[in-house]
Amino acid sequence: MKELFPAKQVIGFVFSLILTAVALTVYFLDMSFEMGITILLVTAFIQAALQLVFFMHAGESEDKKAIYTNVYYGIAIALVTVFGTLLTLIWGYM
Amino acid sequence: MEFFERFAIPHPSPLIYASMVAIGLTLIAIVIGITYFNKWGYLWREWLTTVDHKRIGIMYMISALLMLFRGGADAVMMRLQTAVPDNAFLDAQHYNEVFTTHGVVMIFFMAMAFVIGLMNFVVPLQIGARDVAFPRLNAISFWLYFAGAMLFNISFVIGGSPDAGWTNYFPLAGTDFSESVGVNYYMWSLQISGIGTLMTGINFIVTILKMRAPGMKLMKMPMFTWSALITNVIIVFAFPVLTIALLMGTFDRQFGTHFFASTNGGMDMLWANLFWVWGHPEVYILILPAFGIYSEIIATFSQRNLYGYKSMVGSMVIISFLSFLVWVHHFFTMGHGALVNGIFSITTMAIAVPTGIKIFNWLLTMWKGKIRFTVPMLYSLGFIPLFTIGGVTGVMLAIASADYQYHNTMFLVAHFHNVIIPGVVFAMLAGLTYWWPKMFGFMLNERIGKWGFWFLSIGFVFAFFPMYITGLDGQARRMYTYSEATGFGPLNMLSFFGAGLMAIAFALIVYNVYYSFRHSPRNVGMDPWNARSLEWATQNPVPEYNFAVTPVVNSSEAFWDSKKNGHQLFKDKITKIHMPNNSGMPIILAGFFFIFGFSFVFSIWIGVIVSALGILGTMAYRSFENDHGRYISEEEIKETEKEYGGAK
Amino acid sequence: MKIDHSQPLEYGTHQNQMNILGFWIFLGAEIMLFGTLFASYFTLENGVGNGPSGAEIFEITPVLMETIILLTSSFTIGLATHAMRINNKKATLAFLAITLVLGLSFLSVEVYEFIHYYHVGATLQTSGFTAILLTTLGTHGAHVTFGLFWGFFILLQIKKRGFTPETTNKSFIFSLYWHFLDVVWIFIFSFIYLKGMM
Repeated sequence: MKELFPAKQVIGFVFSLILTAVALTVYFLDMSFEMGITILLVTAFIQAALQLVFFMHAGESEDKKAIYTNVYYGIAIALVTVFGTLLTLIWGYM
Repeated sequence: MEFFERFAIPHPSPLIYASMVAIGLTLIAIVIGITYFNKWGYLWREWLTTVDHKRIGIMYMISALLMLFRGGADAVMMRLQTAVPDNAFLDAQHYNEVFTTHGVVMIFFMAMAFVIGLMNFVVPLQIGARDVAFPRLNAISFWLYFAGAMLFNISFVIGGSPDAGWTNYFPLAGTDFSESVGVNYYMWSLQISGIGTLMTGINFIVTILKMRAPGMKLMKMPMFTWSALITNVIIVFAFPVLTIALLMGTFDRQFGTHFFASTNGGMDMLWANLFWVWGHPEVYILILPAFGIYSEIIATFSQRNLYGYKSMVGSMVIISFLSFLVWVHHFFTMGHGALVNGIFSITTMAIAVPTGIKIFNWLLTMWKGKIRFTVPMLYSLGFIPLFTIGGVTGVMLAIASADYQYHNTMFLVAHFHNVIIPGVVFAMLAGLTYWWPKMFGFMLNERIGKWGFWFLSIGFVFAFFPMYITGLDGQARRMYTYSEATGFGPLNMLSFFGAGLMAIAFALIVYNVYYSFRHSPRNVGMDPWNARSLEWATQNPVPEYNFAVTPVVNSSEAFWDSKKNGHQLFKDKITKIHMPNNSGMPIILAGFFFIFGFSFVFSIWIGVIVSALGILGTMAYRSFENDHGRYISEEEIKETEKEYGGAK
Repeated sequence: MKIDHSQPLEYGTHQNQMNILGFWIFLGAEIMLFGTLFASYFTLENGVGNGPSGAEIFEITPVLMETIILLTSSFTIGLATHAMRINNKKATLAFLAITLVLGLSFLSVEVYEFIHYYHVGATLQTSGFTAILLTTLGTHGAHVTFGLFWGFFILLQIKKRGFTPETTNKSFIFSLYWHFLDVVWIFIFSFIYLKGMM
């Protein structure tokens, strides 16, 4: 039975629950917007990285360079799109 | 009868009725012709079910040429309408439909298809592969593109064409101002062909990363393959944006949501924003493969290796990233502040730098070269000055404050035709001529080809340069007519004259295909151009397995090395070759997509549900299918190679 | 087909390696797809018109349930991949089945959530905000739904054909898909729900 639950997976799962709990503090505790959003950014991105490395085995094959380049490129372009759009449609008018 | 009323054309005219009859007769003629010559079996086995990248590439290019004539007819109609002031050839509504379909057809169904068709044909050959990474998916891509193209093209005879411009800005494209189903057609045809394009992007990235011949490191790939890699990276990250924008547009039109409405918290500018987040990278999706083609051709016909290989690659990598950072320059006049316009103005000017580097590299490749003035080289030589003019006017448009003067005028129209025609169209014609013997085993006639080039180039200059002047004088784009007092008349007449010359050029190009098919000698050998890269190291036309023996490579000009420096390309013996099986599944899947799109356009929900089940059922069938491909035996390969005139 | 036994079976053939890389690139496109939805969401977030805002309609309990369910399913699909690698067919099938059941539970809660929104007057047509909210959630939900069918087919195939280069490859790719949907949910959870309720 034990061999079916490798430490890597279990630790990853526990971490993801902990990160969820930390993120929940923004709901249950009273804090400023900046503080809250910082917590959310940190927990969400760590959580994503966790899945990528612990569960998705992104770095295990010979194509790991291509895979990481692809993911980083995607994230970079997605962030540019999100913040560029906000800059153009919302913040640009303030 | 009520059910059928929705299919009526909202703004009929004799021209459209004539087209209906013409389309009907052509279809009947095709069906009768194929039946008469008993070609249905051949067509199904050899073409409709093929997964061969070469045949898929050729089908892409045939479709692209058909679309070129569809879009070209639209272009001539527009130039005819505006040739004289107060012309009544087309009314405002028809003019709107014509410029909309012209833009959509040319960008999505002509240029994209041509680019992808050439990539399909050339890339696996240049890297010494047997096929692409996912041959079946490749066929699905093509048929989805084809289904999308056909869906778009039936719009003008069933239900009405889209009429809100190829940019389809809301709220104009919303149901308040575009009541017919035209814009629904826009949404669904682009959605369906866009899915196909995305799959192509994934397919080619994996092909190029994983299927290169032994010894071909990334920095030893031919330049066209490099440009294809970067193009496909941009496709993969840009097309999902269009998918979402089209989905939201569909919801707004057909489910009454308020994404792009100006009431209830919607934001009409969001469409323009998302459209150009996709749209600007799209420009580079079209132009980078063109750069790749020019790089191959200029090196071949200057008989020198490409100058500045590393800077060529570097500038394309930079472009791939910068192309996602400039989109706001398409709507500088929307009203955001100086900061936003300033940022995007600077990124726009920055992207001109890597492009400029490439121009200098081509010039330096020709420097001291022994230039041969063949048709592909003529197109490349025409491209450099004409494209540079287009680039310079682009930098003029990038100056945000000055853009208030240029925006939405004929100046802009002149600019983007000035980059797209010498950039993309010239490259496609050059590439087609250059790789033609690889596809069909004979050359296109040079003399007719040169006539075509001169008609096209001179026609282009006459058609578009006057627009720079009328644009600066204030002629707005997309206006169906103007009064005599504006003084735009003579220059527009000149433009029409240019369009006529371009039409003659395309007629010459088609005649050239016919003429060469009849008269060109068939024994052109493997290397009619004295070329440099790997695709010329196999027979013409290319056998289905591409290379009898997988080549071994040690530079970006492996074939040149094998000719001049004694590099041995083929070291192994001929052994049996594994190939994928043909499949009817892609065309059936695309058929379901077509019905899905058509039903959705008219909100026929029963058709939507049935075809959606068909799509999912086809995919489920594919999931359970066991298909391990087939082998071509050693004897069969030797037999084929012998027919070509002996094994190498 | 040459099978390389020095690697896990799902990487064992060249075609398998290409399938996995190809799927990663597809996930890159998916990042951009959801990135676009988020960009639109943040733009339209305050466009509530006459309808309710996020703070007024979000409920922490179903959201938290969905999150825990999806995180657990991401864990179990990881265990399924692990069981596959130690060649334990029974455990692989069990973990795969648990994952699918969890996926179904997630969808049930989401359906409940949508009904709740309908009752408090937040439908697709209410405002720019509700439209983008429901579209973003719906796109994720549609992915999960598609995954349920896909995963079920793979389960059947492993059951019938055992571990072959094809079935292990499909199963591994499915696990990538499922983990990715979990990642997307984390961002929905953080930047739509928690940010909205903060």
